[in-house]
Amino acid sequence: MVMKIVGILVAFLGFVISLASVALGSNGARLGVIVLGIVVSLFGILGILNAAHLKYAIWKTGAGTE
Amino acid sequence: MNAGVVRLGPLTPGLLRFGLLLGGLLCASSCCFAQAPAVPPAAASSAATVTPSAPASKPITDADLANVPVPSADAKAKGDRDGSLTGNAGDVTVSDAKKGLTVGDLVNQVGQNKIALNIVWTLITGYLVMFMQLGFALLETGLARAKNANHTMMMNLVVYGVGMFAYWLCGFAIQMGGVGAVANLGGTAPLSAEFVVNLFGKPFGLFGQHGFFLMHKGTYDVGVMVLFLFQMVFMDTGATIPTGAAMERWKFSSFVVTSFLFAAFTYPLFANWAWGGGWLANLGANFGMGKGYVDFAGSGVVHAVGGLSALAIAMILGPRIGKFTRDGRPQAILAHDMVIVITGCLILAFGWFGFNPGSTLGASGSGNLRIGSIAVNTMLASAAGLLAAMIYMWLVYGKPDVSMTGNGFLAGLVAITAPCAFVNPISAVVIGMIAGVLVCLSVAFVERNLQIDDPVGAISVHGACGIWGVISVGLFADGTSNYAGAWNGVNGSVTGLFYGDATQLVAQLLGVATLLGVVFVLSFLFGTLVDAIMGQRAPARSELEGLDLPEMGSLAYPEFELKSGN
Repeated sequence: MVMKIVGILVAFLGFVISLASVALGSNGARLGVIVLGIVVSLFGILGILNAAHLKYAIWKTGAGTE
Repeated sequence: MNAGVVRLGPLTPGLLRFGLLLGGLLCASSCCFAQAPAVPPAAASSAATVTPSAPASKPITDADLANVPVPSADAKAKGDRDGSLTGNAGDVTVSDAKKGLTVGDLVNQVGQNKIALNIVWTLITGYLVMFMQLGFALLETGLARAKNANHTMMMNLVVYGVGMFAYWLCGFAIQMGGVGAVANLGGTAPLSAEFVVNLFGKPFGLFGQHGFFLMHKGTYDVGVMVLFLFQMVFMDTGATIPTGAAMERWKFSSFVVTSFLFAAFTYPLFANWAWGGGWLANLGANFGMGKGYVDFAGSGVVHAVGGLSALAIAMILGPRIGKFTRDGRPQAILAHDMVIVITGCLILAFGWFGFNPGSTLGASGSGNLRIGSIAVNTMLASAAGLLAAMIYMWLVYGKPDVSMTGNGFLAGLVAITAPCAFVNPISAVVIGMIAGVLVCLSVAFVERNLQIDDPVGAISVHGACGIWGVISVGLFADGTSNYAGAWNGVNGSVTGLFYGDATQLVAQLLGVATLLGVVFVLSFLFGTLVDAIMGQRAPARSELEGLDLPEMGSLAYPEFELKSGN
């Protein structure tokens, strides 16, 4: 459960990072910061949150197959 | 000329010129594109300069109009076989019978004709989009096993009613309650209240406040009703996407509640930010990011939102029993009817001719004649996606896989949905081809690397290719479109990186970041809440038996003897 919360917080953090780019003046800097935010969000979703769900995946526990 | 018609004589050229000039001015004065907030008057007036100049002529007066002839009653009584008697000056509504036809009557009729054309266009294309529900139903049900066919069909039916109800209650108000005047539909003036906060020194529109129940604050209005119908069927397209990724294991009652939350909150919030005058649309006006976030018909708003919600639900549910072996290898679970799968794909492609060209919300004025280009781009991208996916599967796996070819077809359509109004035909083909390959790669990645069970490939078709469509606007928009001279309140045409404007790509990427960091998160939180309260997954025994009997109480094919596993 803890890792699920961490995953969702990291996904949202990625958005916050991207949003902060509007405060920058340079277009290149904005681009870099937004891409960084997208990578952070993807890591939160696919790297942390999905891994947390897979830990108890039905095919690992064998539930429903007996 | 038919003998029953009195010759119009020298008045005709003058009237024609007057009509053309008036029509041109009225069309040019329409300043708003429906999926975007209103354009400032300065932008609208710039469009008027493209009106062909007419030679100076004597102004037409009410006295001139009094002499305009109309077919006699005797002539009409004989029947109008060639159509030359039907539709004439006598059909123009007269405000005062004593005065007869006046210039004011004529002007009002021209204006009403323009709005009527736009309303009829928007309604008919909306009906086409509604028909896509059948496409989704057939596609998903065909890809399910026979023992789940009733359950899958039922989800596709019920999402229409549940989604519409939630959208009527509050979703539409949240999405469009602050959009302002949509000139193509004659105003929609009551939709005028956006909740705004100040961030980074600029106003950030977060949600609309007018339009609850379609009665609140004067929204019982002809233009608002048309806008509701069109936006409702878009929302419902998004709401039905998760049913594909979650089928064969989603508890029906939980599906109903989750779909309600999607239609009431998740979808309308992002749609407000992109189409309802919210902060994403105003990135251009407030921060100099191109023309703001641009998503013409909803690669992001509809498809990526639906695809990311599908990802959240698929994660929460986990894979179907038997999808993965104990060591994590994916197993093929065969579809029960590929005939209806492909039928569904073709119905969806047909409906897309409402989805994309209809998003102009009008056929007359404001650059809306580009609907031809939009329709052609749509069909070209679908063909490119289909061919790319078929060739990819043929080369890599040795056979032109039927379901993946269908997915490539849809991937091209999803990807072109955002850029269709701003790109040329070659770009449309490139965008569709990339989507066709992307969907094949994404389906394999989701299944093998992420070990997420997505029976129809909804996460890849709508999520991955929807995001690609959003990004492609920032790359391929060629700067030739002219929707009343501006977009999202910024003068000029939408132009992407390859045509000289890198700032548009930045706006698009911020839209992608919002989809991942807000829309996914919100979908996951709602899904988890429902899971905690009532459980999202059907019991294992029901899943093994097939959800038709335990959840619906009847089989889709009662005369068939179902073999084990199907």
